[in-house]
Amino acid sequence: MYMSEKSKQIIDACRFCWMCRHICPVGNATGQERNTSRARALGLSVVNRGAAELSPDIMDNIYECQMCEACTCDCATGWDPTYFTKEVRLQAALDGKTPDYINAIVDKVLETGNIYGAKELDADLAAAIKAHAAKEDVILFLGAEARYNVPTAAQNAIKVLEAAGVKFTVLADEPASGYALDWLIGAADETKQQMTDCAAILAGYKTVVAFDPQDAKAFVREYKEYDLKVGAIVTFTAFVAGLIKDGALKVKNTGKAVVFQDPYQLARMLEETEEPRAIVSACATLNEMLLNRKDTVWAGGSFMAIYNPLVSELVSKERWTNAINVGADTIVTASVSEYAALKATAPEGKTVLSIEELVLSAL
Amino acid sequence: MVCNEFLTDIILTELEDAVGKENCSTREIDKITHGVDFFWLSRMWADRGRRMPEADFVVSPKDATETSKVMKIANYYKIPVTTWGGGGGSQGGAIPVAGGIVLDTKRMNKIYEVNTEAMYIECGTGAIYKHIEWAANEVGKATMHYPSSLTCSTVGGFLAHRGIGVVSNKYGKIDDMVLQMEVVLPNGDIINTSATPKHAVGPDLNQIFIGSEGTLGVITKAQLRIYDQPEERRFRGFLFQDMHGAFAASRELLQKFKPSVMRLYDEAETASLIKKIVGVEKKGAFMNIAYEGVKEMVEVEEKILLETFAKYGAEDLGSEYGEKWWKEKITFFYPGHMMDLPQMFGTMDTIATYDKIEKIYWAMKNAIETKYPFAKFIAHFSHWYEWGCMMYDRFIIDGEYVPKDPTEALKLHQEVWTTGIRTAIANGGVVNDHHGVGIKLGRFVHEQYGPAMQVLEGIKKQLDPNGIMNPFKLGL
Repeated sequence: MYMSEKSKQIIDACRFCWMCRHICPVGNATGQERNTSRARALGLSVVNRGAAELSPDIMDNIYECQMCEACTCDCATGWDPTYFTKEVRLQAALDGKTPDYINAIVDKVLETGNIYGAKELDADLAAAIKAHAAKEDVILFLGAEARYNVPTAAQNAIKVLEAAGVKFTVLADEPASGYALDWLIGAADETKQQMTDCAAILAGYKTVVAFDPQDAKAFVREYKEYDLKVGAIVTFTAFVAGLIKDGALKVKNTGKAVVFQDPYQLARMLEETEEPRAIVSACATLNEMLLNRKDTVWAGGSFMAIYNPLVSELVSKERWTNAINVGADTIVTASVSEYAALKATAPEGKTVLSIEELVLSAL
Repeated sequence: MVCNEFLTDIILTELEDAVGKENCSTREIDKITHGVDFFWLSRMWADRGRRMPEADFVVSPKDATETSKVMKIANYYKIPVTTWGGGGGSQGGAIPVAGGIVLDTKRMNKIYEVNTEAMYIECGTGAIYKHIEWAANEVGKATMHYPSSLTCSTVGGFLAHRGIGVVSNKYGKIDDMVLQMEVVLPNGDIINTSATPKHAVGPDLNQIFIGSEGTLGVITKAQLRIYDQPEERRFRGFLFQDMHGAFAASRELLQKFKPSVMRLYDEAETASLIKKIVGVEKKGAFMNIAYEGVKEMVEVEEKILLETFAKYGAEDLGSEYGEKWWKEKITFFYPGHMMDLPQMFGTMDTIATYDKIEKIYWAMKNAIETKYPFAKFIAHFSHWYEWGCMMYDRFIIDGEYVPKDPTEALKLHQEVWTTGIRTAIANGGVVNDHHGVGIKLGRFVHEQYGPAMQVLEGIKKQLDPNGIMNPFKLGL
């Protein structure tokens, strides 16, 4: 299998180093040695040296990584283990070595644009979207996760912007942003094509408000890498924080005590940690749990909830433990997929709120 | 040892029954990753495209009950059991050299209790120590166990080889920090050591298992001390013209009070690592001292420190370098900052009384640099007592001098270690201070203990008559 010199260099740096073990959400949840950057690097280094094949077993391990970049963020030297992980996913796809359970998701994304293979929108959501069919300068990009997995989140996002009097467009046939393919098979032609098609549509708007941090990350990072031009990208949280600050969105503090779960895409990849806190602080009493801001830990959901649900569940439960340890009854999150995962694993008496739910409750 | 496919399958089903299918693996990736720890030889072997000895099964029990089931199976079939915590050990202690079962403890990571009245945390020994530190921090306390492997190693790993952290001078080694432990014996019995470590009910059972490197059983739970966060922690860097003055100054200082950090670097390490990471440009032996606790006492300690070190001609470098050192104390060990392949290297840490430690340093440096003129020998001294201190000495051989053939490289590695450790023992040192023995140094344990070895062998024979526990480690 082809591997770039950069990947080989990172692999050889990481293969005997465990320093980031403590912040890997998967490894901490499963307790499995293979769920470390060190293990993935060691396995691949052994393959690179001809002492093992890139077996289905080793490929499975490549897909036990959430690519959350906690390890990268923690590394004092600056090595990025997700770099080689992503490259191996791409090369495996090119060589026909992608696991079947991943190919099944890829096929769904290629056919429907979402990882669930869903073709029909929730009726209420469809109606809410229809009300914003007119072309405006601002487009609210809901993303596939909200549209097909948590449609109430999408509806609430629309309601928040409506409450602020924002004129905005929501597309009935929203294109896939490409984040899913990028995560699944890296920078394949299919990924680039999906991103190119999406960029062509979004280029017609001055401002793109990305509701889902997964999409926002793709717009800001991968689109830039592929030199795809779109309008100004603003995360939903930054946009709403601005609306509150400007007085366009008037909220009152509900007095509810909450902790905020930083989506790793926002906190680490887009370096956005204070905007969501401004929202939460305006609507509730914000406390902090262990591992916040750029040190945040993934709270489950998304891809792994489909093909490795036990891991996703364990990861979510770990995050609940962090919240409970600081006495929190409510977690607020700005990630659609983490919202779903945390909701599914909420202990009795504990609540997860999406950030848009919190805002709506504070109007 | 498993010898045929049929029996392997039978045993696999029994182990799956013990810990659950998802926690019992024969996957290649699990075998590979549990075959290489931080031991230079295992890393070199993998680097040269060789496969290390691998386990037949990797099991991850969640508690003592599941561990007991695994032990009973292993004992019945007489399968070797190698306990694996974080795999960050440098002595090959976690490598399943005889195959069989690797028992990975990391699912035993539950924090059962944070007791701020009795000042301990009770946790599974698979917990990463950093997570224990976080748990302590959440209630305003600290574990005060800060080794460079804090983020990657488990509680059990530190217990298994008597680990130590950078503030040991004030707070002690891991063996000073344990109140009570739960241990699963090789026959599957689950035992608890006494409720407190200080008593007169015979020898301390804790200390039989701490440092036993998985040869006598599996430690599954431990109560570890926690401490109040210091009101104040101050640093002071010093430069000694030579190490002799530093030893004398430090010995005198320790008769007066216990700093938390005491780290003396020889001239060679000051000119390399300390210059690179901390920025000390001057020639000499750099020493960093930290002192902490109640503010008023810290003030007094600082006065004593400055007066004592001034008597021995130490140049006061102020607090800047010490603070930088504290901030970067773990950075030293990240790839790119540490020695790495193709270099050959090793840390021959030893400990001795003050009347011997300096002599050991020079004897080892001389022995290694004379016999292997292509080797560098550097050292720092990082854990100090009223009676002596430990030496963290390293040899480094650049890649151009390391044989390309892995077997020849292995032989050279063994030779250098033999030279160093025998010199340490001959001059009054011990085989190791805090990295343990593993397979790397097992051959020297008999040399150090002589007839006293029968005590360890007797315990081993009684507890593990089938010899299944971590074979070929610790010289047992």
